Amino acid sequence: MIELKKAGRMYRQGNREVYALRDVSLLIKSGEFLSIMGPSGSGKSTLLNLMGGLDQPSSGEVFMDGKPLHGISDYELTLIRRRRVGFIFQFFNLLPLLTAEENVGLPLLLDGLPFTEVQPKAAALLRQVGLGERREHRPEQLSGGEMQRVAIARALITEPAVILADEPTGNLDSHTSEEIFLLLRNLNEQGQTIVMVTHDSKAAAYGSRVMTLKDGAIAEDMMIAEPAS
Amino acid sequence: MSIKYAILAILAERDMHGYELKSNFDDKVGEFWSLNFGQIYSTLDRMEKEELVTHGRETQERRPDRKIFSITAQGRQELNEWLTTPVNKVRALRDEFFIKLVFMDKRDPGPLLDLITKQKALYLKQMSKLTQQKMALKKGADNPDALTSELLIDAGLFHTEADIKWLTLCEAKIRAAGNQPEKK
Repeated sequence: MIELKKAGRMYRQGNREVYALRDVSLLIKSGEFLSIMGPSGSGKSTLLNLMGGLDQPSSGEVFMDGKPLHGISDYELTLIRRRRVGFIFQFFNLLPLLTAEENVGLPLLLDGLPFTEVQPKAAALLRQVGLGERREHRPEQLSGGEMQRVAIARALITEPAVILADEPTGNLDSHTSEEIFLLLRNLNEQGQTIVMVTHDSKAAAYGSRVMTLKDGAIAEDMMIAEPAS
Repeated sequence: MSIKYAILAILAERDMHGYELKSNFDDKVGEFWSLNFGQIYSTLDRMEKEELVTHGRETQERRPDRKIFSITAQGRQELNEWLTTPVNKVRALRDEFFIKLVFMDKRDPGPLLDLITKQKALYLKQMSKLTQQKMALKKGADNPDALTSELLIDAGLFHTEADIKWLTLCEAKIRAAGNQPEKK
């Protein structure tokens, strides 16, 4: 599904070379629910960005379904990102002027599909995340938990190979967070591959595998349960 | 805290004999707290002397009589006072791991750091199990005890999370101490 081979990410700060990630090799299988933990600055988000084609490695290789994400053009990378990866962010990243339904449909609309074709899919996904009655609402009319559900529906609309979530409940209270994790877990039980960055071990406990990063390298990698799907 | 109050709370629902009391106890809090019959019967004896419970006898065919316990008015009053008073004592730090920490050699941090890593992995697996129990509970049929069970599982999850955070801090502090020049 996703494979990294000695992937590294180095930034230049003046004359200094700063390594956000060093020689990381790992294989994520289809149906896994992997949590990535580690202190801030350990490279968690950099790793997630490499997996999702938001960034490219400065050394090593990244593959999705056997196809390289490194050394390809920005345009090709944009297409993979839009069609094969579903992103969920801490601050939801919804467009404030669009309704819930339009936000969910956005990845397909950007791909040039007509709204008449996109709308029923978006509506069905909103029902699936429990927001069937909120289709016409704009983000400001929704609670934090509801906004994150919209973002999850948006991540699902392209039927992505993988969902990448970066601290998806960092901004939500415990009870609302639990509902988001249960939703992610249900998706995983239906076969959805999920990679989640989190500092919360309660969140990690919903997954099957937990990886800890330290100073840009993998410090621990363990299975904590059988994969759900 | 003694098991006295749990027994009072169970008997407040209805009268029952010792065996029933134990299985009731196990159903409600067995996940977190294990008791043997000896503890139950010796506590019941003591509670009878304190006039918190009384017992009657039930005759059984071909078997000795058995005692049916019931809560007294005084028992109800004491239970109610206990239930409505907040808990004063913070969770006791007497985890077996703390004792290992005390006796591990801090001048040679390798084995201690290894132990911490293993302990964290174990706690994470425990949290995974608790999470699965919680999900099973949510999918199961509604029953009045399900919410209580869920809240107790949540408590287990929060406490284990705190343990993991604390172990992570231990790790950082032990490493930092090892890196100080005067200790090399």
